[in-house]
Amino acid sequence: MKQKIFYVFVLAALILSACGNLAGGQPVVARVGWAGSPDTVNPGTAILTEAFTIFGLVYDAMYKLNLDGTFSLGVAESVEHSDDGLVYTYKIRDGIKFHDGQPLTAKDIKFSYDLYKTHDDFPYINAYTTYIESTEAPDDSTIVLTLSEAIPNLESQLVFMYILPEHIWKQYAEGSAAAEFENFEMIGSGPFKMVEYKQNEFVHLAANKDHFATPPKIDEVIFQTFESQDVLVQAIKSGQVDMIMEMPATAVETLKGEANVAVVNGAPFAPGVSDIIFNQITPENCPKDAGGLCTGHPALQDRNVRLALAHATNKQKLIDVVLLGYGTPGLTLIPDGVGLWYNNTIKDYEFDVAKANQILDDAGYADTDGDGVREMPDGSKPLIFRMNWPSDSIDAPRLAELLSEMWAEVGVKTELQATDPDALTAQCCPVFDFDIILWGWASDPDPSLLLGVQSTGEIPSGYNETGYSNPEFDELFAQQAVELDLETRKEIIWKMQEIAFNDVVYIIPYYEQTIQAYRTDRFTGWLTDFAKIELGDVTSMVLIEPVK
Amino acid sequence: MKRWRYLLNKISWALFTIIFVIILNFFLFRILPGDPARAGVRDPRLTKENIEAIRVRYGLDKPIVNCFESLNPIKLGSCTVNPLDTQFFIYMGNLLQGDMMISFHTNRPVTEILSERLGNTILLIGAGQILAIIFGVLFGMFSAWKARTAIDYGSLTISLVAWSLPTFWLGVILLFWGSNHGMPIAGMSTPGMSSYPLLSQWGDIAKHMLLPTLTYTIVYMGEYMLIMRSSLLDVLSEDYILTAKAKGLSVFQILKDHAITNAMLPLVTIIAINLGFTVGGVIQIETVFSWPGLGMTTVEALNRRDFPVLQGAFLLIAVAVILSNLLADLAYSYLDPRVKTE
Repeated sequence: MKQKIFYVFVLAALILSACGNLAGGQPVVARVGWAGSPDTVNPGTAILTEAFTIFGLVYDAMYKLNLDGTFSLGVAESVEHSDDGLVYTYKIRDGIKFHDGQPLTAKDIKFSYDLYKTHDDFPYINAYTTYIESTEAPDDSTIVLTLSEAIPNLESQLVFMYILPEHIWKQYAEGSAAAEFENFEMIGSGPFKMVEYKQNEFVHLAANKDHFATPPKIDEVIFQTFESQDVLVQAIKSGQVDMIMEMPATAVETLKGEANVAVVNGAPFAPGVSDIIFNQITPENCPKDAGGLCTGHPALQDRNVRLALAHATNKQKLIDVVLLGYGTPGLTLIPDGVGLWYNNTIKDYEFDVAKANQILDDAGYADTDGDGVREMPDGSKPLIFRMNWPSDSIDAPRLAELLSEMWAEVGVKTELQATDPDALTAQCCPVFDFDIILWGWASDPDPSLLLGVQSTGEIPSGYNETGYSNPEFDELFAQQAVELDLETRKEIIWKMQEIAFNDVVYIIPYYEQTIQAYRTDRFTGWLTDFAKIELGDVTSMVLIEPVK
Repeated sequence: MKRWRYLLNKISWALFTIIFVIILNFFLFRILPGDPARAGVRDPRLTKENIEAIRVRYGLDKPIVNCFESLNPIKLGSCTVNPLDTQFFIYMGNLLQGDMMISFHTNRPVTEILSERLGNTILLIGAGQILAIIFGVLFGMFSAWKARTAIDYGSLTISLVAWSLPTFWLGVILLFWGSNHGMPIAGMSTPGMSSYPLLSQWGDIAKHMLLPTLTYTIVYMGEYMLIMRSSLLDVLSEDYILTAKAKGLSVFQILKDHAITNAMLPLVTIIAINLGFTVGGVIQIETVFSWPGLGMTTVEALNRRDFPVLQGAFLLIAVAVILSNLLADLAYSYLDPRVKTE
């Protein structure tokens, strides 16, 4: 019965597909599979990384972000800044054209920056304009930026402020029109131009062979959406796609055995970090005006307890079980993926249960009633911690189980509970109605975002999720925010990581790696030698060429 | 006259249910915890002004309804608020004009998204249902006529197995098998086809439909076959069939004139109910084969807390179920004279 139906189908398919092979010429098309889709192709309102991957291909910006974490000039050929670091003057290259043939001038840049700055309802890009006081275009090839503060990381702000064509966007510049503009045509000036975008289906781009800096060697690229990562693996195995942007760690071994498929792993392009959040807010710092309840377990305010838990945590086991080995042990909130800002000299707390027990014994946390759970030094309260995680997390349940087992070894009991992400946000901060949360951050190439998360100033806003407060750390945070010298700023930032690490603000279980795969019989030139892996980024896409 | 009253009665109940669903839908999503304006964006740099501007854009700054202030925590307004300036009335007003507001996640009009997706889903389940009905009914008839023979037991076993297969599992198996035979396993068209002649575009879509439709057909065919078989067996045991046999009518005549119409009754109900539910219920098939239909959109919207899209999708699904039940009722009154038009 199945057979019959199948033949009917095959017959129908054959007849119909016979009409399909009418193509003339053979453009070189790279087919990329991913398990997502841009939420929108309007840079103003986009949130998902998939959207930013497409923006990087279709638009140009003042700077380009390299895979090693450094920046190089994009549409500008030179830049100078005033001694006080408040005025930047960019010289824009001549002869850059948008995909519709119109020239890209300083006027377009001024228009784009003003658009981003005036639209409070742009969730991400608006934030990058915080320190830009004004943008002026005295002539077609000059941009003068005046900043409100001498910030050291202007590059990382401008790199995502894509240059839009004024002649298309000006009719949508006012009010909610900008956010509602669908931008399906997506006229930009980048190395690829939009051919067709179908949400949740595919993004079809064609090469802009006239690009001023990096004309692609291929003719077209298609990003196709697959709803599940397992299907992605099947698609690259059978050769339906040439590269996949993500895959489950469980499939790595299968794919490694496959001829013509190479699997690569490394730090992700967008720095991400998983964290174990300890509620350590003190009663004095409790943000009562912002709704703070501050019901955290008092033991977690004691560094000794957090230190003992750090020693009781077998990070390698967590990596091996939760990530199947595709991760590196975490140190602080600044992940290895941010490159030069990552302090790689910090020596991790060794996994040593005896030492952890010793620390707790010495600090007076004894198990007086012999039930296997320690009590507070004054005997008032057992060390039973609530542990929550967002219910949409795939890794957190396993992580929680493992931590619960490991910490039980040192007389600490945990009550595990998955929680709806919104409910968890409401519980977390600035309410501080929790003991331990397993969560994570994604961040900018610049570390100041994740450093700020540990500063006292962010307690009332709820972004400081631990309630950690250290005047020395806050002082250094303020210093790095205005330090223009790269080396000095790096020293400050490394010092801050050391402080946070010594205070055991968080336990960072691991930095998860990206796993991608490509077919070796289709294209060559993928950038795989860097610490970071992002084959779908513009850096690789403009380099790849067909295998001869 | 009586038939008209019956019809009117059924239709007004359907309308009443739809209105109830619309109202329920509206409040359901507003009782959920969390702020849609912040969903997906967890970034310290998102200022109060940003959040407020986003709320204004989505109309979330307005009170949900006026009065009932004591019923907070869901941010109801005071009685001094103009009722026309509340989220509820704006929503209802827009809905009457066919406007379902803007998606929180994609910033596109919900009506636009849903009409695209609904078409894709109807295409998939339409083809699947038709095939499943044709093959299910045929095999069911055949099986019943050859009852208690090897053929019957064979097809019964196959149908039982097919019906009890988990849809996603069957889908994944077919997907793996198909991908090794060069069949497309994701989406509904090959990118770049839109510049081709219409006929080859359709051919391309048909190719993409192959595996999902096959999955759908196999699963539902089993169900139809089983119901057709048992209801036909029932009918065939009736005295009037014996009479027909005694009159010397051929097998074909007995089936066509005496048995099938009666045996179809239970099947009509099942088909109608299935039609309604499958609009929202092909989620598994759509997810396995990345088919951009309503089911996939609903899952995506749920993950992103895209309330306007969810509201719209729930409304569509509810309307589909109600309409197909209405159709079943009407078809019943036509097929079965015993269903009194009271």
